[in-house]
Amino acid sequence: MTENPMTVPVFDVRDVTFRYHQVTALEGLSLAIPPGKRIALLGANGSGKSTLLRLLDGLAFPEKGEITFCGEPLSEERLQSPEFAYPFRRRVGMVFQNPDIQLFSPTVFDEVAFGPLQLQWPKDKVLAAVKEMLEAMRITHLKDRSPHHLSTGEKKRVTLASVLVLDPEVLLLDEPTSALDPKSASQMIDFLIGLRGGAKTVVTSTHDLDIVEDIADECFVFQTGRLVAAGTPTEILRQTSLLEQTNLTHAHRHIHATGETHSHPHLHPHKH
Amino acid sequence: MHIPDGYLSPSTCAVLYGASAPFWYIALQRVKRILTTRLVPLLSVMAALCFVIMMFNLPLPGGTTGHAVGVAIAAIILGPWASIIAISIALSIQAVFFGDGGITTLGANCFNMAIVGSLVAYAVYRLAAGKTALTSSRRVVAAALAGYAAINASAFCAAVEFGIQPLFFQDPSGAPLYAPYPVSIAIPAMMIGHLTFAGLAELVLSAGVVAYFQRTNPTLLRLTAPGNVAGEEEIAGADNQSMWRTVRPLWIGLALLLVLTPLGILAAGTAWGEWSARDYSNLHAREQMAMASRNTAPPVQPPRELERLSSLWTAPFPQYAPTFVRRPAVGYALSAMFGSGTIILVSLIAGSLAGCARGKRHELS
Amino acid sequence: MNFLERTLAGFLNAVEHALDAEDLAKANGLLQCLDPRVKVIGILILVIAAATAHKLWVIGAVFAFALLLAASSRVSPLLLGRRVWIPALIFTGIIAFPAPFVIPGRVVWRLPGLGWPLTAQGLMSAGYLVTRVETAATLSVLLILSTPWTRVLKALRVLRVPVVLVVILGMAYRYIFLLLESARDMLESRRSRMVGKLNGPDNRRLAAASVGVLMSKTLQLSGDVYSAMLARGFRGEVYMLDDFQTAALDWIMLVLIAALAAAAFYYGR
Repeated sequence: MTENPMTVPVFDVRDVTFRYHQVTALEGLSLAIPPGKRIALLGANGSGKSTLLRLLDGLAFPEKGEITFCGEPLSEERLQSPEFAYPFRRRVGMVFQNPDIQLFSPTVFDEVAFGPLQLQWPKDKVLAAVKEMLEAMRITHLKDRSPHHLSTGEKKRVTLASVLVLDPEVLLLDEPTSALDPKSASQMIDFLIGLRGGAKTVVTSTHDLDIVEDIADECFVFQTGRLVAAGTPTEILRQTSLLEQTNLTHAHRHIHATGETHSHPHLHPHKH
Repeated sequence: MHIPDGYLSPSTCAVLYGASAPFWYIALQRVKRILTTRLVPLLSVMAALCFVIMMFNLPLPGGTTGHAVGVAIAAIILGPWASIIAISIALSIQAVFFGDGGITTLGANCFNMAIVGSLVAYAVYRLAAGKTALTSSRRVVAAALAGYAAINASAFCAAVEFGIQPLFFQDPSGAPLYAPYPVSIAIPAMMIGHLTFAGLAELVLSAGVVAYFQRTNPTLLRLTAPGNVAGEEEIAGADNQSMWRTVRPLWIGLALLLVLTPLGILAAGTAWGEWSARDYSNLHAREQMAMASRNTAPPVQPPRELERLSSLWTAPFPQYAPTFVRRPAVGYALSAMFGSGTIILVSLIAGSLAGCARGKRHELS
Repeated sequence: MNFLERTLAGFLNAVEHALDAEDLAKANGLLQCLDPRVKVIGILILVIAAATAHKLWVIGAVFAFALLLAASSRVSPLLLGRRVWIPALIFTGIIAFPAPFVIPGRVVWRLPGLGWPLTAQGLMSAGYLVTRVETAATLSVLLILSTPWTRVLKALRVLRVPVVLVVILGMAYRYIFLLLESARDMLESRRSRMVGKLNGPDNRRLAAASVGVLMSKTLQLSGDVYSAMLARGFRGEVYMLDDFQTAALDWIMLVLIAALAAAAFYYGR
């Protein structure tokens, strides 16, 4: 992976270790996220990718090592000060895997307005921004709905809207297509494809190999808290033994009518 | 035990809102200090949980089912102050949105269940559990006792509130305007149901949940166990606050006694020795004196010194009945509040004066 | 299992009530058009008037007004009967029933056979209790059925309820339904796995474990929600956006209700 030494990485993770409840979630992790690229964090459940996202968003802090954001250290103390926190929260937006924890406001409108209100935008600006975002995501008809009356697809659209309304430079997405029906999933994927070549840096964690080629320019592969591979999606997808080892694919067994048993890695390659 | 609108007079409701307000205020301050930014998400979600727990139908010994409030669990896991707020919020939503409990009586319901319930549950749990290990079975028993005591204390408060309604609030023809039954009916009626079913439900739930957490995640029980790092003891710090905590059960006891003083009216007869000079010539009073003195007839004339001294001082509220108050029960209660209030005020002044004097001495030295 | 079934039935009832409220809040009626702040203040005043009245007919008049409001807001009497009047009558009826026999006063009738006396005062007090309960319950349910809950909460600000409490009430309400769903899933899955009946102690253990699991999930949930709030810039302050606008109709209704309440206070004293 080549990197222009003059470009400051958006996130620079240096030798980070993070433990949670006696379990080592990340160990000795080092990687850099360059600006403007779409990155995929690949790994099975529990491999540490969600934890990394939380660390990148300043929601948890490493025991050892450090993380910098655009050259500035991302630490608990720095996030206490409003001068650092407000710009950081506006520039980095995170979409969590479980939409219910992110939809904590009584109505969709309130939810999308939460971020701007927290950043203390004036009332007119908040109302205008919310209205615009609801239209862009085509959820204006949902604006007075309560979150528990939304389908999973609608919930994910609202969570996206509530993050995008602040126009962040960096988007962190944790398993965005999980629990979605095929139609909603493909809408989400279209959205992620649409970010290609844009100004935003996108970091998506997923274990769905089918979508990696579409949504990412580069991948990092995780296994039990360690980085085991990095490269373009094409490069990674070719390494079938690595994929099996990291539980990203499974050996699919089927029995033919003749009684023969075939075993081969299960992958759906498709071209766009 | 959710009291609907119409059972308590507006003045009773107002008094109970007034009584709840300081507890709500103190609870919010203390919880804010401990939880800081986590206050909103934690209390919201906890209030939602308390609401859902109140909707659980619990199996009881004997094959019946009942509902519990979960006040002991809330007090044990979250501490009494967070419990006060979480349960008050749950009760508010039940009352306003689901119509379970009245709007005017919300203050009363919060006082009985959220405030008295949480404080009694916490006090009983701490007393009964002592310093035993988080996983000891004594804690399960303590939780059971805490739940049982809390619910019955709440029920008792509600019963007293019901029972004083017909005493104070009647229409011109004498018909009670609100809850119609006097204390002598209200207390047994409320307590029978709660000493049995509701108390059992609370007992079963509190014991069961504490036992469950002992098996799965004992650290959740840390907050109300002494010597733990995250406990309120460490965080509170200041001297006068810890003193407040030790005397708090006394305050609660005093408050409860204040509320219950009208019960004194039910007592028959006179206290031995508390007779005035005039009673010696009153036939009825003489009968009571005799009854109280093992049927010994009192002398015909009062003792000479008694007569002389009794003219020295006329009490402002003779017979605990201020002249401007017409009903004896109100007079009784007012006298109790006035009396205790005066004592408390004097002690507080004396205490702060003593504190000042001590402080000055420290300064000088 | 008895307690499982009943608990699930209770959950369902709560969810249905919320759905009824949401449907009716969208209907085209008088109350639905009014500013929520006017409704909150107005209904509160009327409830207090009904609670303060010392005369039965005054309470009845307030109840009649409540019926008028209901009729003009597309709230059907059947719904009110099912949700409010009958449950309240049963609950308060049982409590009020002994009153005519127990309260001392002028005897107006004797029960044939047993000869138990009914007093006028007892009948009156039962009357006061039942009418007050029904009137207050009708008024508060009208508020809820005609206004989305979130707007009711925002309207509470006019009563000087602190913003932090309004936010907590809103968030608690939202998560009640999530927790109800979790609890329902948990109980239904246990029910489907149960073969035959459980004995008493096992039943109780099951109930306690259900609550315990729910509590653990809730604590976990609160941590997650907190993270999500932090990620969107939350630093401890809560803000609220409201867009209430009063129209002429609001002021007219407010004046009307205030006048009615004043009359009720005067005649009912």
